[in-house]
Amino acid sequence: MNASRSLPRVGLAVVVVAATLLPLAFLVALSLGSEWFYPGLLPRQWTGANWDLLGRGGTKMAGSLWMSVALAVGTGVISSIGGLFAGREIARLDGSRRRIGVALAFLPVVVPPLALSIGLQYSLLRLGFGGRFAGVLFAHIVPALGYTTLFFTGIFAVFDWRVEDEARSLGASARDVILRVMLPLLHRPLVEAFALGFLVSWAQVPSTLLIGQGLVNTLPLELMSYVSAGQDNLAATAGLILTIPPLALLGAAGLAVRRLRVVVP
Amino acid sequence: MSALASEMGRHRGSRSGLGLLAAALVAAPVVVGIAYSVLGALGVVGPGADGISLRHILAVLANSATWRGLLWTLWIALASTLAATILAMTAAAVFRAERGVDRFARVVAVLPLAVPHVVAALCGLLVLSQSGLLARLAFAANLQVSPADMPALTHDRYGVGLILSLTWKEFPFLALIAFSVIARAGAAMEETARSLGAGALQTFQVAVLPNLWRGLLPSMTAVFAFVAGNFEAAALLAPSSPLALPLLTMERFTDSALSVRPEAFALVLLGMAVSLCGVAAHEWAAHKAEA
Repeated sequence: MNASRSLPRVGLAVVVVAATLLPLAFLVALSLGSEWFYPGLLPRQWTGANWDLLGRGGTKMAGSLWMSVALAVGTGVISSIGGLFAGREIARLDGSRRRIGVALAFLPVVVPPLALSIGLQYSLLRLGFGGRFAGVLFAHIVPALGYTTLFFTGIFAVFDWRVEDEARSLGASARDVILRVMLPLLHRPLVEAFALGFLVSWAQVPSTLLIGQGLVNTLPLELMSYVSAGQDNLAATAGLILTIPPLALLGAAGLAVRRLRVVVP
Repeated sequence: MSALASEMGRHRGSRSGLGLLAAALVAAPVVVGIAYSVLGALGVVGPGADGISLRHILAVLANSATWRGLLWTLWIALASTLAATILAMTAAAVFRAERGVDRFARVVAVLPLAVPHVVAALCGLLVLSQSGLLARLAFAANLQVSPADMPALTHDRYGVGLILSLTWKEFPFLALIAFSVIARAGAAMEETARSLGAGALQTFQVAVLPNLWRGLLPSMTAVFAFVAGNFEAAALLAPSSPLALPLLTMERFTDSALSVRPEAFALVLLGMAVSLCGVAAHEWAAHKAEA
C-alpha cells in the first residue's frame, strides 16, 4: 500500500485514538489534580487525596464502592446460576414453545430500566424491601437474569446432551450429573455469565434510586451526587473506579478470544 | 453431522412444562411490573388511585410537555444511533488489515464499551462544558478568551452534548459488530465485484454496505431502544426544557403530589411503547432487507 493511500487511514486512526482516550485521560488528570482552574490545560498540583478516600473507612465513596461491589457480586452469582438452569430448560423446548420461552426471557432485557423499576417499586415496598439491600439486589437480578438466561439458551442450543446420558448410564445421580458433568463442562460460560450479571448490576441507576430510596447508596449514585455538588475531582475518581472492572473484563474477554482463535483452511 | 444433530435434538421437548415455567419465572417480575403500571395508569392501584378511568392517560396525551419530551427523546435516540452507526461503518470499512495501525485502531475504538453510561455522560459534561477540556484546548489554540465564548454544548436545547456523549458510548458496540461482520463476510464478494469491473466505491456499495447493514440492524435497534430509555445520561446532560421522556417520567413519579403518580405510570407505558416500536421497526427493516 502506498503512502498516499495510507495517510488518510493513519489520520483517521489518530482521530479515533484521540477521541477515545482524551476524555478518559481528562478523567485521570481530574482525579489526580487539584487547583485546576480554567484555562489551564493541566492542574497546578497533583495529589492522590481523592483516591485516598477509598482506603479510609467511613467515607461515602468507600461505602458506596463496597455496596456496588456487593450488589454486583450477588447479582453475578445469582443470575449466572439462575440463568444456567432457566437457559438449560428453555433450550430443550421445541418449535413455538421455544420461541415463547425465548420471548419471555427477552422481556427483562427490552423493558427500559426506569419502566421496570417503577413497575417493581410498589411490590417491593409492600414486601418490605424498600430501601434495603435485598430489594435493590432483586431489582438488579431481574434484568441480569434476562441476559444470562438468553446467554445460556444459546450455549445449550449447541450442547451435546449425550454426555449427561452417558453419565446417567454409568450410574450417576441427578446431583452428580449437575456437579460432576455439567458444571465442569460449563465452567467457562458460568464465569462469563457471572461477568455479564456483574456488569448489568454495576451500571444500574434507576432501580437503585427507586428501590433503594436513597438508603442504598452505590457508586453510580454517588457519582451523580458529586456532579450535582460540583465536585468534579471526586466525580472523575468515581467514574474511573466504575470503569476499571468492565475494562478488566473486556481485556480478559479479548485475551480469551485471541487464545480461542482457530485457523480455518 | 445430521445424525449428531438429530441425536442432540432428541433431548428437546422432553420437559416442555419445566422450560416454559423457567421462562415464566424469569419474566414474572417484569409482567407484574407492567401489569402494575397499566393498572396504575388506569387509576386502579397505587398512590393517587381514584377509580378506573382513562382520565390520567388522556391527561398525559393532552399535555404538550409529553409530546415535546417524546419528540426530543426520539431525536436524541435517532441522532446518536445514526451517528454511531455511520462512524462504526466507516471504521469497519477503513481499519480492515490484520496488523499495524488498523489493528491498533480497532482495539482502541472498542475501549469505551467498558465505560458505563453514567461515566460516558460525565466525560461529555467535563469535556464539552464551557470550562471543559474542549474550551481549554480552544483557549490554548487562541480560539476563545473566556468560557462564555464557548457555545453551550451541555444542557442545550438541541441536546448536542447528550448526542455526542451517547454516540461516543454506543460507537464501540456498533463498531465491534461491524468489525465482526466485515471479518466474517470475507473478501470473496469484494473480489468478485472488482473482477466484474466495479470501482472502489461501487464495490463498497454492492459488496460491503449490504452486509454491514444487515449485520448492524439488530444492534442499531437495541442501541435506539436503550438510548431512548436511558435515564442517567439524560439526568447529567439534558436541558430542563424540553424535559426528556425518562426525566419527565421520574419527575412525575417522585412528585410530592400523589395525584400525578398515575401520569407517571402512563408515561412508563409510553416509554415501553417507544421500545416496542423500535423492535417493530427492526422486524420491518429486516424483512425488507431479506426480500
